Order: sequence, then C-alpha cells, then structure tokens
Amino acid sequence: MELPPRLFAFLLMLLEWTKPGLSNPLRPICDLRVLKHFIEEARDAEAAMLACKEGHGLAEPVTVPQTKVDFNVWERKTALEQAQEVQSGLWLLNQAIGSLRTSVTNTALHSHIDNSLRNIFSIGQVLRSLNIQEYTPPAGGVAGGEETWRVSSASELLQVHVNFLRGKVHLLLSNAPICHQGSS
Amino acid sequence: MTNNNLNKLLVFCVLFCAQKTSIVHGAQALETKVALLLHAEPENPKCFAEGMSDLTCFWEEDEERAGSADQYSFIYTYQNENSSECSVTALPAAGGKRLYFCRLSQTQLFVPLDIRVFRDDLLIHNRSLFIEVVFLLDPPANLTLTSTGMQGQLKASWLPPSLKYMGDSMMYEVSYAMAGSHIGKVEAVQASSELILRGLQSGTKYKVRIRVKLDGISYSGYWSAWTDPVLMETMPGDLDPLIVSLSLIISLVLTLLSLLVLMSHRRFLLKKIWPIIPTPESKFQGLFKVYGGDFQEWLGHSTGGLWLRPTYFYSEEFPAPLEVLSEVSLGPVLPSSALPPKASEALGEEEDEDKKLKRVDPALMEGWRETPQEHWLMDQLRAIHKHPAPWTQSSLLESHDAYVTLNAQNHSVEEPLDDILEETLPLQVLFASGRTSSESRSDLGSVQQSSGSGRLSSQSSFEYPNHTWPSKGPGYTYMAVADSGVSMDYSPMSSNKIDDIGKGVIYTNEYKNEIPAHRRPIGTPIHFAF
Repeated sequence: MELPPRLFAFLLMLLEWTKPGLSNPLRPICDLRVLKHFIEEARDAEAAMLACKEGHGLAEPVTVPQTKVDFNVWERKTALEQAQEVQSGLWLLNQAIGSLRTSVTNTALHSHIDNSLRNIFSIGQVLRSLNIQEYTPPAGGVAGGEETWRVSSASELLQVHVNFLRGKVHLLLSNAPICHQGSS
Repeated sequence: MTNNNLNKLLVFCVLFCAQKTSIVHGAQALETKVALLLHAEPENPKCFAEGMSDLTCFWEEDEERAGSADQYSFIYTYQNENSSECSVTALPAAGGKRLYFCRLSQTQLFVPLDIRVFRDDLLIHNRSLFIEVVFLLDPPANLTLTSTGMQGQLKASWLPPSLKYMGDSMMYEVSYAMAGSHIGKVEAVQASSELILRGLQSGTKYKVRIRVKLDGISYSGYWSAWTDPVLMETMPGDLDPLIVSLSLIISLVLTLLSLLVLMSHRRFLLKKIWPIIPTPESKFQGLFKVYGGDFQEWLGHSTGGLWLRPTYFYSEEFPAPLEVLSEVSLGPVLPSSALPPKASEALGEEEDEDKKLKRVDPALMEGWRETPQEHWLMDQLRAIHKHPAPWTQSSLLESHDAYVTLNAQNHSVEEPLDDILEETLPLQVLFASGRTSSESRSDLGSVQQSSGSGRLSSQSSFEYPNHTWPSKGPGYTYMAVADSGVSMDYSPMSSNKIDDIGKGVIYTNEYKNEIPAHRRPIGTPIHFAF
C-alpha cells in the first residue's frame, strides 16, 4: 500500500496544527513501510538520473553524509549520537539535493528531485514523531566532520541519498525505543 | 601426576573433537553454500554474507589451470576509502575444480564495495557490490512440528536466524509433502517464527522443511539451504463432514416421513395401543348420565323404551296358533261337526282328497266361511265325526309315536284341488311314514309341498298342549303338538296365494318351525282325534 507522501505530509501538518493535546501530538510512526516507500522513490530518482544522457555535473561539490555502517561501530554509539548522525546527514542531503535542482534542466528529473526533497522532509517528521532529537545546523558554515564527504556528480549524490536512507535512517527507525516499548 | 596429565589430555581430546565436529559441520555448511551460490550467482567472485559483519568471497578454477593461492590477490575497496587486500585460500572441490576463498571479518554496509581479483597481476575478476544485499543465511534451526488439535492441520515452528535489525526483512518458505511423495506444496511467510499448515490429509505422515531469505529493501540475499526434513503424522481422520451432514439430512427426512405416517394413522394406532373399553351407554339412553347406573330407576322412568325391549329381547314373534289339517281319504261322507267358533281352536281334519283343507286362523276362517265349498266340507266333516272310521282309531291306538298316520286309502278320487299347505314340518315328517302319496320330506324347515292324492294338513295349537282336542267328529284328524313357539316358514308354495282362494283354502298363516326334530320334547302328548 503506497501512502502518497504529500497526503502523509499534509496529515502530519494537520495533526500538528490541531494540537490535540499536551502530549506528543504526533503518533509515533513505527511502520517501516513508510521509509520503504521513500527508499523506492529515491531509487527511482537515481535510476532516472543514470538514464539521463546528459552528464549532469554539479556546479560545485556538495557535502554529503557517509552512508557506510559498521555494525560493531554503530552499536557502540549512543542513541543520541546515532540520532545526531542521521539528522545531520538528512540535513546535508536536503541541502545538496536542493542545490541539484537548480542545475538540472530536465523536467522529468525535476519531479524526481522534488519528490526526494519532500521525502526528506517527511522522514524528518517521522523522526520527530519518534521523539528523535532534531538537528540544528551549526551557524555560519557547512557542517563538516568525519562522517561527511564531497560528491561532484548528481548520480553519486542520489546514490548517497538512497544508501543513506537504506542504512542509517532505516537502522535508526527500526530501533527507535518508542516503537519497542510495548514488546520485549 | 599422571592423573593430572591424563585429565589434561582427556580435556584436550574432547575440545579437539568438539572443534573438529564444528569444523566439519562448518565445512559442510560451507560446502552447501558454495554449491548454492555456484548455482545462483553468475558473477565472479561470488560473495555472501553470513552475519552482520562478515563477507566470504570465492571463485572457481579448473584444476589444470589452477595455480596456487599465492598467485591470486584479492583487493577490495570501500567507497571513499583506500584499498585493502584479503588473503586467498584454496580448497579442492568436486569435479576437478578448485575453489579460492577470501573472507572479510569486518565489513561496512550500505556502501559500495569494489572487489578485484588478480592472478599474477592480471585482473581476472572485478565486481562492485553492496554487502547488505548478498546475505546467505544458515537455514532456520529447531524446526518442530506440532499438532494444532484440529483435523488436517500441523503447526510448524522454528528458530529465526539471530540477526539484529533484520527480523522484519526475513522471509521463509515452508515446503511440505506427504512422506514418500515428491510433489509438495510451498507456503511463504514473512517475519514470523511459526506457520500453521492447513488442508492436510488426516492420518498421513508429512515431511516439512524450511528455508529463509532476506528480502527487504534494506537487506537482501539468496535463499538459504533447506533444513533437514521433519516428519510428523496428522491426526487420524474423523468422520467426513459431508457424509455426516448427508446422513443427518437423510435421517431427518425419514423421521419426518414416519411422523407423517403416524399422524395420518393416529386414530387407528391409538385404537390398537389403547383400545377403547366398550360401554353400553349407547344402548341405555341416559342410564349412566342421568341415573348414575341405577337400573331400576332408569327402568321406571324410561318411556317407550321398555316396550321396545321385548322386541329386542324376544326376537321371535308371538306364537301363532297353528292349524294343522290333514287329509285322509274317507269312505262315507260324514257329517262334520261345526267348527268351534273359538279363535284358538285347533282342528284336525281328515278329509278326502276332494275335501277342502281348513284354514288355521279363526280370523281367517271367518273370512272363508262363506264359501259354499266350505260348507260342504263342514258337512262332510261332521259326517265323519259322527261315524268315526274304526281304522282311524285303531291306527291311532297302534301308533305310539307322536305323529299322525293318515292312511292313504281311497285315494283314488282326488280333487284337483291344490290345497296349499302352509304348515309343513315337522308335522309333515310325521305324516310321511303313513302315506303313500305324500311327497313330504323329512327335513325341517324346508318348504313342503304336498302333492299327490294324499294331502295332509295338520294343526296345532299352543293353547292345547295337554288337553284333548275337542272331538270334531269323524274325519278330523288333528293333533296337538306341544310346541315351544317355533316357527316354520312355508315359503314358496305358500302363503300368499290369495288368488287361489277359488281353488281352495289358502292358508296365510305363517308357521315358522326352526326347531329341529330332536328338540321336540319326547313324550309330549300329541293328540290327534278323529
């Protein structure tokens, strides 16, 4: 079942607007099918970019998060660290894909790119529903760090986008403590 | 000292053996996986991940062209990282092949991995892959079959591979078939650790096996090897529900039919089972209801009913006086005495063949008195009476039987009168012996027809049972028969030939005699007088 991300985002915004109670207005979204949907759309965008004959190069290299996950290392990190890693990475991707949009002229790609941007925003909302701390970018500049690297091609960027969603974001969502409160 | 040594040696041996078995086991598992991958993966090198942070890659070479493991170098590079090398090991394989393995113990997922294999600085294989999509897990452990308690069902449960974060991506395939059969069914289940198999035959043994695969967006891989089959017999068959339901319907229909039949013959059956005790209420009107069974009272109060009773109880009619006339041939015409005017007088007359026969009933007599022939007859009878023929008396004296013998003398002249006799037997029986011309028969109750010259007529009266008949003069032969009210029916020739009045005296009196001869009381006086 595909949940349209626009509808999903609208619902989220509506819920937040109505503010039903003092408690967390957003119901935790523990269903990973939401993320699965985003990942699939990101894959479609990557495939479309690869199919595009035009060699799309970014105007300037963009900073993207590292997608690699070493489980031994990951498990040693705290929940906060993990959340921080994911949130910053999403922010970076948002920035990077936003800049990609300006340099792409193909209208088909434009829809993909817009979709990806909306999905990133939705993931942010999902993370918010799970009480995962939001990321505040450092003022003044682009956040660097060992967990980032720079890409210069659009396809590479979109690939990073896919891998990041499949990896770290998925790990974070599947292990959100609020979703495992009832079981185990 | 030696004990300690021995103990150590023993422990060492045990550990070695255990390890060896595990190694052997691991080798066996590896062999199966290799075989699987050789079949499933076209690219080289074939790589698979068994856990969350390992990767095993291998490639195959023919024995002839194979070199030693040193000749090969396995270079792998993660994205944005430097290359690394993996040590290559060689293992012999079946079919004259050689396998070269490389195993990584620390891996990074969700990042492209670049692999290059060199043989003596010659690139032979090149591949880029994501490790999280080449999972080849061990088959699920502890596959057990249990009965669910219902017909044709089995519950299969297993232990999922213990991989963190991958539970909801795991997909299982359960294959089940009847033991001995190769045709089986496969059922898929996602992210579960048990499955209920339905639609199985009762009382049959099934073999079940399972395999696992990671089939998610994040994690993916190949189908694992099948587990060893587990056998289990399903519950013994119960009554087929179709048969049970059909038999129920049939029995219901039969029950309904029988009920219908019973209902339609309800009264008949009730009469048979619980017969009605007959009561005489219908015959005694109001005896029980009004008088409560008091018969005396009921008798006193019932009107009209009583008088009807005698007719009910006495089925016979009132005895009617019977006049039996007998015809005897007489010589001289004797004057006959006047007939007594009494109604119940019985006359016995003996007359000639040309004499008339007297009627019985005095009422009837009166009716017939007017005939001139009768007058003549009476005269004749008177004459006879005055001069009784001695033969009659002698014959009378001779006979002890209670019958009248009428001699058949002088039967030459015979009037063509056909006197119709109403009375027949038993009197005619008695007359039969003394006559020659009479044709009366001896059976009782039958219609007698006297014909011929000798005509006999007999009379009897109830009112003269024991007394002597008044002598009527000669020519009368009459007898009194003590009769108990028997009646005789003289039918065909008899009674109703009123039209024959011209010819002769017609006797319309019905004398019904149904009493057989033996019932005639013996010794009763039968008088006959002349």
